[in-house]
Amino acid sequence: MKAGLACSSLTLSHPSEGVGTLSFFLPPGSTMVVIGRNGSGKSTLLKTLAGILPPRSGTVTLDSASMASMRPRERAHRLAFVSATPPRGTSLTVSDVMELALEAGGHPVQADRVNQAMEEGGVQQWAQMPLDTLSDGMAQRVMLARAAAQSDALVLLDEPTAFLDVVGRREVMADVARWRQAGKTVIMATHDLDAVQESGWADRWLLMRPPSQGGSVVPNEPFTSSAAKALLIGQD
Amino acid sequence: MKARWSIPALVTAMLILFVIGLFSGPARLEWSQEWAALRGDGGVTAETIMWKLRLPRLVSAALSGAALGLSGLLMQTFFRNPLAGPGVLGVSSGATLGVALVALGGAGMGSVSSTLGIGPQVVGALIGGGAVMVLLGLVMGRFRSRTALLIFGLMVGYLAGALVTVLQAGAEAGALQAFVHWGMGSFAHGGWTSCTIMVCALTPAVLWSWRASSSLDMWTMGALTAKTMGVDEKALSWSALGSAGVLAALVTAWCGPVAFLGLATPHLVRAAGIKGRHAALLFPVVLTGSTVALLADLVVRLAGVPLNAVLSLVGAPVVLMLIVGRGRIFSKARNR
Repeated sequence: MKAGLACSSLTLSHPSEGVGTLSFFLPPGSTMVVIGRNGSGKSTLLKTLAGILPPRSGTVTLDSASMASMRPRERAHRLAFVSATPPRGTSLTVSDVMELALEAGGHPVQADRVNQAMEEGGVQQWAQMPLDTLSDGMAQRVMLARAAAQSDALVLLDEPTAFLDVVGRREVMADVARWRQAGKTVIMATHDLDAVQESGWADRWLLMRPPSQGGSVVPNEPFTSSAAKALLIGQD
Repeated sequence: MKARWSIPALVTAMLILFVIGLFSGPARLEWSQEWAALRGDGGVTAETIMWKLRLPRLVSAALSGAALGLSGLLMQTFFRNPLAGPGVLGVSSGATLGVALVALGGAGMGSVSSTLGIGPQVVGALIGGGAVMVLLGLVMGRFRSRTALLIFGLMVGYLAGALVTVLQAGAEAGALQAFVHWGMGSFAHGGWTSCTIMVCALTPAVLWSWRASSSLDMWTMGALTAKTMGVDEKALSWSALGSAGVLAALVTAWCGPVAFLGLATPHLVRAAGIKGRHAALLFPVVLTGSTVALLADLVVRLAGVPLNAVLSLVGAPVVLMLIVGRGRIFSKARNR
């Protein structure tokens, strides 16, 4: 069994069928930042990696197990996902969310574990507050803490800082840097190139672009925002 | 009110209302006579009143209230819309049309005169209410906002209402009178058969809601988050919509399109301070539904007003408070 996340000859389903074929391998405990213009298929890729969208062709495997053949519950034990917008209209409190995260990840739901997860995510001061009463930035921190509590192995983040201010962005990036230290595999799609470089957690990067512009690449050079911008702007 | 006190408090309130309901009524029986009749030696008249009228009516009220409360909770959770409920989403309208087809159109079972036939009427309500639920499930992905869902329910209501009017125009006087009477809502029509069937539908629905309570919690965080937390979207949709639809349609079949109970009950529970996870909400919602239904039925019997009038007088202000009062439904809770 080969541990890690592997994509082989992956093409994405609608609306990203035009982004070409993707193949990459991510060993456990490494991090990858996914960049690309709006509509380049970053979200579709992350949802495909998460197993909630079927690929058009090719396979995604996590520790040699096919993502497509896993049951939803089984997938939730192995990976967590954070989208750009924190949930609204729920009456759950922050500690409710953390309880659910532990349950989703297949961990025992005990008060001390819930507290520990909230402390690790830096959200324990809001424990009894309903998620709905928190600001976007606070609620997104809770969603990150939720993902960290749910999955020890793999976390997928789809533009988690899109609606956050400068401080909020930094906090999210710092969380990811900490997860990397703890040995989690992280994939983040983002437009926040400078913030990623500043926090320095990106082991590798994936640039998504259509075949007509040279196709998607996983550059060998380390991630810098200037190199990323050059590729992004140069492609037009 | 703390969650841990709510259940004993609600059970006590229910029992008190049940006993008051059992020992009051237009027949003016003596207490001793009522008690004897309950034990089986109070004479034919008293026994008929107690066992064939009062008891099934009270049990029917308690079960219907519980069913509508649960139905409302499931719809509000599933559609992530605090104004969802059997009446608002058009499920009651669909069930009403189904009943009208049977009662007024004479679909299948010949003429139904003063009393509505139980069998075909239930089938009509289930098909009508079920059709609306299936339609909702199919098109809900296309709704961009909370408002669109409510407009859907409103339009289904108009369509069903128009067809019902057509049926009414061509109906014979006796059937029309029975149908209009049914539309006012009452817990008196069911009888023991309906109570048995309600128990058979309510029990699995409550058990499923209890077992799926974590999934329902996750669902309130959005479909994407829920799915990546292990919720099986298809299974949840079918079970939640199926339970909510069947419960609402069954109540409608026997009690008429009962107003507001489904919509308002979850909000009454939340207003009482019970919030958060479905495991904490479920039983208070079910018991509050029963309690409010028993209370409303008592008012109906004492004041002689139709059930839907009583419930609307309470329910409409609750909804107005939700929208105007703290302005939270349509401002803070944005639709995303």
